[in-house]
Amino acid sequence: MGTANYDLVVVGGGAAGLNAAFSCRERFPEKRVLLVDRESEIGYYRTLLPMFMAGNLTEDKLFFWKPGDDENLDTRLGVQVRTLDRTAKSLTLDSGETIGYARLILACGGHPVVPPVFERAVTPEGVFPVRGLSVAREIKDWLPDHRDIVVLGGGLVGSKTSVFLRLAGFGVTLVEKESHILPTVLSADTARPLQRHLENMGVQVKTSTTIDQFKADGNGAVTSVRLATGEWLPCGTFLVGIGSAPDLGFLQGAGLVEDGELIVSPTLQTVDPEIFGVGDAIYIRVAGGDKHNPWTWPQAVNQGKLAGANAFVTSPVPLKRTTRVNAQNIAGVPIMILGGPGVGSSVEARPGPGDGVWREFFMHDGRIVGGALVGDIAGAGPLHFTMAGGEDVSEVADDLLVPRTRAFGASAWSSLGQARRATIIPAKGNDGC
Amino acid sequence: MDVIAVHVDRCVGCKTCELACAVERGSEGKTLLSAVREAPQPQTRVRVEGAGGVSFAIQCRHCADAPCLDACLTGALARDAATGLVRVNDDRCIGCWTCVMFCPYGVIFPWPERKLALKCDRCMHMESSACVDSCPTSALEIVNVDKLADAMAEKRRSAAMAASGIAADGAVLLDLAK
Repeated sequence: MGTANYDLVVVGGGAAGLNAAFSCRERFPEKRVLLVDRESEIGYYRTLLPMFMAGNLTEDKLFFWKPGDDENLDTRLGVQVRTLDRTAKSLTLDSGETIGYARLILACGGHPVVPPVFERAVTPEGVFPVRGLSVAREIKDWLPDHRDIVVLGGGLVGSKTSVFLRLAGFGVTLVEKESHILPTVLSADTARPLQRHLENMGVQVKTSTTIDQFKADGNGAVTSVRLATGEWLPCGTFLVGIGSAPDLGFLQGAGLVEDGELIVSPTLQTVDPEIFGVGDAIYIRVAGGDKHNPWTWPQAVNQGKLAGANAFVTSPVPLKRTTRVNAQNIAGVPIMILGGPGVGSSVEARPGPGDGVWREFFMHDGRIVGGALVGDIAGAGPLHFTMAGGEDVSEVADDLLVPRTRAFGASAWSSLGQARRATIIPAKGNDGC
Repeated sequence: MDVIAVHVDRCVGCKTCELACAVERGSEGKTLLSAVREAPQPQTRVRVEGAGGVSFAIQCRHCADAPCLDACLTGALARDAATGLVRVNDDRCIGCWTCVMFCPYGVIFPWPERKLALKCDRCMHMESSACVDSCPTSALEIVNVDKLADAMAEKRRSAAMAASGIAADGAVLLDLAK
């Protein structure tokens, strides 16, 4: 098949890739951009898929963009990139087409890790990864006849999916291999009341275990799975919400991948300054050698926008914030995640008034490096930026841990402390009665 | 872009703006008497805060590089093309509060009863803003941010005049083609 040349090629049409394309088009209107994605549909909110699967959301609410709106933004959908040739500055697609680029942005995302138990056998029907829209549609159609669901992975995706499916009336069991749910972002103490909340909703939570065997019926559909503890869980649907291993196979031999990881600088450039990396597929290496990536939606959008704007400038701008901040509303209990516990950080926690209200910080050298607010999230935004600014809060950390209900943090005067007095003025004509 | 500015020296912390906002923008009845009886209780989009004897009203700043826009998971938050203001599309908001977490000023408020993120839209579809109109000390004012550059230029001019001892219009701003 033929060849085509573009100023910028973006591989991956998720949050990071699309925003990279949009921001490049906005910043450099004369540049022609091509988006390549393995899915046949892009431009939807992946974060809404659990609601969509549960039938709480119509499909039109999922989409924010359709291809064809911009004549200088082309798409190749439903195709995968085969190889990258850095010397020729070109990509070959599995459709046979060769695409030349001046700049390349890799936003190829991550994919759920398949549990080893299914790697050894033919995957039965009713087993789905929680990731793309096409699979979400399949799940949505599958669910009504298979109402017992096992969700593997108690991270953000797994717990959110469990909650929405439970609220829609399905029977849900959540399986997490660590000792508590949301293990990468919460301490055990904070996760416990949340876990209780999930259990009160009717979600069965199984921790410190995983799935090691499954049974399928004559039609090849999953009927039950076995926990490592030996307990069999009957299930007609098995959803995988763990891990996100980026698919970097096409980069083989291109010299961009280091120990299986795609590493970029704070300006989101790979070792080749004309190739950028964003979103779930990458690690950012900061000064000092630390590698990290928050892997959140807001980060993906932010990184995408920056890479698009950096694509054709002489002095690329570094990423401002890399906080692992995320939020979730688990059936009425709001959770704000400031970040996971880093190495060597101490935990400062304080339960709030009433069950289910909790604040914890992970502290390092007097600075907040992570933590979570559960139940009461007031002042969360300023707190996020206090953390991002790296301020020493050792003096005021105790105050910040007190749940608030006002807009500002502890340093500000709050109207709740004010004494309020009202003078009742009698109605006219009632004097002296 | 027109935004609401606060004269900190004029704000007395009376919270009239909070009431006016909640009544005008949050209530069904549009009067204080009916608003206080409504359930769920009407909420305000402007808050008066302060410390050390100084108070001021604060609402959405409509940041140029707004972190909330990146954070929104559903496309509910978007910048209005005509006015440049950041607003919430209630239909799309699912109440995940991610934007609340990303607002550096703490001026996006969760409203759990309605599962909505509440923020100031400068009453963009009204003739003027409820808080500005109601402020008894005129501490709130709508200003055009593009004109702030002119105000800054004026400040530089007067500073230059003061420094050089030139009276009246003798000073010329070299960085402005005026």
